[in-house]
Amino acid sequence: MTRTHRLHGRIVVSTLALALTASACGSGPGSQDSSDDPIVIGVSLPLTGDFSEPGKGVERGYKAWAKIVNDEGGLLGRKVELKILDDQSNADRVVSDYEQLIGRDEVDLVFGPFSTRLVVPSARVAEEYGMLFVEPAGAAPEVFEQGFENLFYAAPAVADDHYNHLAEYILAMPESERPRTVAYAAMDDPFAQGTAYGLKEKLEKGGIRTVVDEVYPPNTTDFGNIAAKIADSGADMVVGGTQYQDGVNLIVALQQLDYQPKMAAFSTAPTEPEFAKAIGNKTEGILAPTGYTQKADHPSNKEFVEKYTEQFGKAPEEDEANAYTTGQVVAAAVEAAKCASQDPDCQGKLVEWLRGNTVQTVVGPLKWDGKGRPQSAHMIQQWVDGEIQIVLPEAQQEADPVYPKPKW
Amino acid sequence: MRRGSDTRLIHLGALLAAAAIALSFPSMAPSPYEITVGIAILNYAVLSTSWNFVGGFTGYISLGHGAFAGLGAYGTGLLVARAGLPPFAALFTAAALVALIAVPVGYAALRVRGASFVIVSIALVLILLLVFQSWASFTGGSRGLVVPRPFPGMLRAEHHRTFYFLFLALLAVTLSAWWVIDRSRFGMGLKAIREDEDKAQSLGIPTYSYKLVVFVVSAAFTALAGGLYALWFGDLDPVFQFSVLGGAYMVLMALLGGVRHLYGPLLGAVAVGYALEYAKVEYGDTPLHLVVAGLLLGVVVMFMPDGVIPAATALIGRFRRSGETSIREVTAAELRERREQPNRTEVKDGERSGT
Amino acid sequence: MPSASLVLQSVVLGVLLGGLYALLAAGLTLYFGVMRVVMIAHSAFLILAAYLAWYAHRETGVDPLLTLFVTVPLFFAAGVAMQRLLLTRLRPATLTMMSVLLTFSVALVIEGLLGYAFSGTQRRIRLGYSAAGFEFLGARVAVVKLIAFGLAALALLGLYVLMKRSRFGQALRATIQHREAAQLLGIDTDRIAGYGFGLGLATAAVGGTALALDTTIYPSLHWHWIGPLMAIIVVGGLGSVPGAAIAAMTLGMLQSLLQLELSTTWAQTVFYIALFATLAVRPQGFFGGRLAQRF
Repeated sequence: MTRTHRLHGRIVVSTLALALTASACGSGPGSQDSSDDPIVIGVSLPLTGDFSEPGKGVERGYKAWAKIVNDEGGLLGRKVELKILDDQSNADRVVSDYEQLIGRDEVDLVFGPFSTRLVVPSARVAEEYGMLFVEPAGAAPEVFEQGFENLFYAAPAVADDHYNHLAEYILAMPESERPRTVAYAAMDDPFAQGTAYGLKEKLEKGGIRTVVDEVYPPNTTDFGNIAAKIADSGADMVVGGTQYQDGVNLIVALQQLDYQPKMAAFSTAPTEPEFAKAIGNKTEGILAPTGYTQKADHPSNKEFVEKYTEQFGKAPEEDEANAYTTGQVVAAAVEAAKCASQDPDCQGKLVEWLRGNTVQTVVGPLKWDGKGRPQSAHMIQQWVDGEIQIVLPEAQQEADPVYPKPKW
Repeated sequence: MRRGSDTRLIHLGALLAAAAIALSFPSMAPSPYEITVGIAILNYAVLSTSWNFVGGFTGYISLGHGAFAGLGAYGTGLLVARAGLPPFAALFTAAALVALIAVPVGYAALRVRGASFVIVSIALVLILLLVFQSWASFTGGSRGLVVPRPFPGMLRAEHHRTFYFLFLALLAVTLSAWWVIDRSRFGMGLKAIREDEDKAQSLGIPTYSYKLVVFVVSAAFTALAGGLYALWFGDLDPVFQFSVLGGAYMVLMALLGGVRHLYGPLLGAVAVGYALEYAKVEYGDTPLHLVVAGLLLGVVVMFMPDGVIPAATALIGRFRRSGETSIREVTAAELRERREQPNRTEVKDGERSGT
Repeated sequence: MPSASLVLQSVVLGVLLGGLYALLAAGLTLYFGVMRVVMIAHSAFLILAAYLAWYAHRETGVDPLLTLFVTVPLFFAAGVAMQRLLLTRLRPATLTMMSVLLTFSVALVIEGLLGYAFSGTQRRIRLGYSAAGFEFLGARVAVVKLIAFGLAALALLGLYVLMKRSRFGQALRATIQHREAAQLLGIDTDRIAGYGFGLGLATAAVGGTALALDTTIYPSLHWHWIGPLMAIIVVGGLGSVPGAAIAAMTLGMLQSLLQLELSTTWAQTVFYIALFATLAVRPQGFFGGRLAQRF
C-alpha cells in the first residue's frame, strides 16, 4: 500500500512495454522484395494439444512440398521457406499466430492450419489483410458460409459430400436388400458431424429410417452407453462421424456388445495406418471415405509418394496429401500470377486466377465454386481381405464392395 | 507532511508517465501484431483486477471466474448475433445479465466457506462448458459462435487500435472502482471479512450481503472484459471460453502481483502475459508452458502467498514508512493460530507476509 | 420409451462406472478428511497412473494390471511426500484455499509433463480381450469393464477393512474426526495424516490402471474427471468415505440412465446439478456427519 510500490510497479510496466516494442522493431524483416530473397510462407499448426497428431501430419506434408519445390529450383526462381508456428490447438493462438506472421514477420504467402475450428478464425485474419488463404482441413459447411472471398479448400470435396458415392450405391440397391434402418453417432465437431449428416440427409431422402442419432463431445472416452443404444436399436447400418480415437473406441464398444450390422461406415479412423491393430484386426467390411490414395495415378502423385517416403521413411496419408495439395494449389497460382508478396494487387491476382482455373494435384484435378468449395468427390474405401481398398466409384475400384458386412 | 507531498508528486508523475506510455503504445508499435499483444495483456489485466474484487477484498479464492468471462463473451455474442442488439448495448446488457446470474451463484457458493466455495467455482466453469457444448442450436455448440464485427468495414489494424483504447478505458474504470471500494466503509468491512470473518460478523458487519455484493460486482466487471474480448476477437468456442485454466491464470496473475494492492493484478498480468507471449515466440512447440505456469503458481503459493510486491517490499523494507495503513501485515487469523497452537506453527519467516 | 433390455444394459454400465467413481471419490475424501485439502491433482495422478500402465504395456507387453505392484507403492510414497513437503508448509489459516491452488499447480505440472513426454495424442491399451464380453441376465458385460470394476471394488473393500479393523485405521479415523482430540490420545496425527494422503493417492494408482484398461487417455483428460469427483464428495458430505461411495454409485447410475434419453453431454450435468442442489438444500451433504457441517 505504500507509494513506492506503485511507483516501482509503473517502472516495470513501462520498461516491459518499451522492451516489447523495441524487440518488435528489431526483428521485423525488411519488406523489400528482391528476386534472391526466398518466398516466406507463414503457417500456424496445432503441433501440441488436441489436434497435434493430424497437425504434425500436415506439417510433414508442407515440409515435403517445400523440399520438393526447392529441389526443383523453387518458385519463380526463388527458394521457398516455411515459417511454422504452433497454435497449441487453440483458437486464440491461431489468430495471434497469423497476426504475427502477416503483421510482424511480413510473410509473402500463408497456408491454412488444421481443423475446421481453427480454419474459420484464421481465415478471417487472412481475409481482413487481403491474403489468399488455401487450407488443407476446413471441410465443414460453415467454413464456406462466412462470406470469405479468399478461401479455397485444397481437397476433393467438403465434408457433407464425402459419402456421396456410398449413398448412391445404397439407394441403387433393390429395396428388399438394402439396409432399412441406420444408427448415427457423430462427434460434435463440424467436420466429423458433417460427414455423417451429409449421408444421413441423403439416405433419409431415399426413405431409409434413422433409428439412433447420437452426438458426443470431442473429449468423450467412454462409449458404452452410446454403443448400448445403437446395439439395442438393431439398426441394419451404423455410421460414425468420427475422427481417429473416438472411432476406435466406438467400434470396440460395439464389438463388446456383439452388435453385428450389415454395413458399417466410419470417417477418418479406418484409413489410419494404426487402425487394424487398434481394434484387434476385426476390420473386415468396414467402410470409410477418403480423399486420397497413395496408388492414385494423378501425374504428380507418384513423385510425391516416392519423395515423401524417401524423406520420412513411410508413405504419406490423407493429412500429408492435403497439405501437399495446398502447396500445389498456391504454387500454381503463384506461377500463373508471377508474383508472391503481400502486395494487395498480387494477392488479388492469385485469388482471381484460382477462381477461374483448374489445378492438377495429387488428389486429382481441383476447381472451386464461388465460395471456395472444391467440386470433386471422395472415394469410398472398404476393408477387404485384411486390406483397405477402394470399392467406389467403379472407375477407381480395386475390389468389389462386400455386402452384407462379415461379422466382427 | 512535506515528504508526503513529495511522494504524492512522484506518484502523480509516475501515473501520468504510465498513462502516456500506455496511450502512445499503439502508435509506437511497428505492426498490428504488437497491438494485439497489448490487447491480450490489457484483457488479462482487466480480468485479474476484476477477480481481485473478490480475491483481494474478501480472501475468497475463486477458480471459476473464467465462467463469468465466458458468459460475458457468449452473452454479448448471442445478443448481437441472435437478438440483433447493437454491439455495445449488447455488451452492457450481457454484463448486467451476468451480474443477475452471479446472485444465485454467489448465494450458493458463499453460504459455505473454504473448500466448498472453491469446488463450486470450478464446478460452475465445468457445467457451463457442458451446457454451451450441448445446447448447440442456441450457442453454436462445439462449432463455435461467430460474433459480427462491431465496426464493419474497419480495416484490421484500425480495429485493433480501437479495441486497444477500449480495453485501456475498461481497465481504467475497473481500477478506479477497486480504488473507490478500497477507500470506502464497504471496503473496510470486506477486508475485515478477509482477516477474520467471525469477528467481522460479531462486530456487526453484514458479512453475507457484503460478500454477495462484491461477488456480483466482480462478476460484472469480468463479464465486461469477456464481452469486449468477444467483440474484438469475433470467434467463440466453449472449450476456450469456459476453461478452468483461464480462471487459474487470473488467480496466478493477481497472486503474483499481490492481491492487496490496487496495481498488483495489473502487474501480474503484464508479467504473465508478456512471459506467455515470449515463451510462445521462443519455445512455442511444447506443452511445457503448462509446467512453467504450474511451477510459478506453486512457488507463489508456497513462498509468496501475498504476492511479489510484499515479498519485494521485505527486501526494500527500509524505504517503507509505517503507519500508512491500518491493515496489519500479519492477519488476525495467523496471530490467533500462533497463540493457540504454538506446536504447529511451522510457518517460516519468509512465508509470513513481508514482515 | 427405451426397451427393458436397454435399461438393464444401462444399469449394468452404471454400476460398473459407479464403482470406479466410488474408489476415486474415496481417495478425494481421505485427503479432505485428514488435511481439509481439496486435492485438485487427484485426477491428474489418476491419468498419470493410466499413462504408466499404458507405457509399461507398450514397452514390455506386460499386462497393465501388473503395473499396480509398482504404481501403488510409488503413489503412496508420493502422497506422503506431497503431504509432508508441500502441504504442511502452507499457513494453517489459509490452508484450504491455498492447498487448492497448490494441488492445482501440481495438476498443471503433471499434465504438461505428460504432454511433453507422450504428446497430446489419445492413447489406448490394446489387449487381446479388449472387445470380449459375455451375457449376464440379458445384458452384455465387457470383460475389461468387469475387471476395472472388480479392481475398484477390491481396493474399496481393502480400504474399508483397513480403516475399520486395523490400529492404523482407528488412528486415521480419529484424526479425521477430531484432530486435536486424537493428538491428546497420543496419536501422531502428522504422521497419520501423511499416510492418509498416501492412501488417497494409492487409490488414484488403482483407479488409473482400471481406467487405462477400457478407455482412451490423454493428458488433459483429468479435467473431465475432477468435476464429477468433487461433486460426489460434496453430495456425499465432505470427509465421509461411505457417503462418497454411496453418492458415487447413485450419481454414476443416474448418469448412465439419463443417457438413455439425453445426449452424453447433458447427462454429465447431473453431477453439477446435484452439487448445486446439495449446497442450496443441505450444504453439509446427504451422508456426511458433523465434520461436513463445519465446511
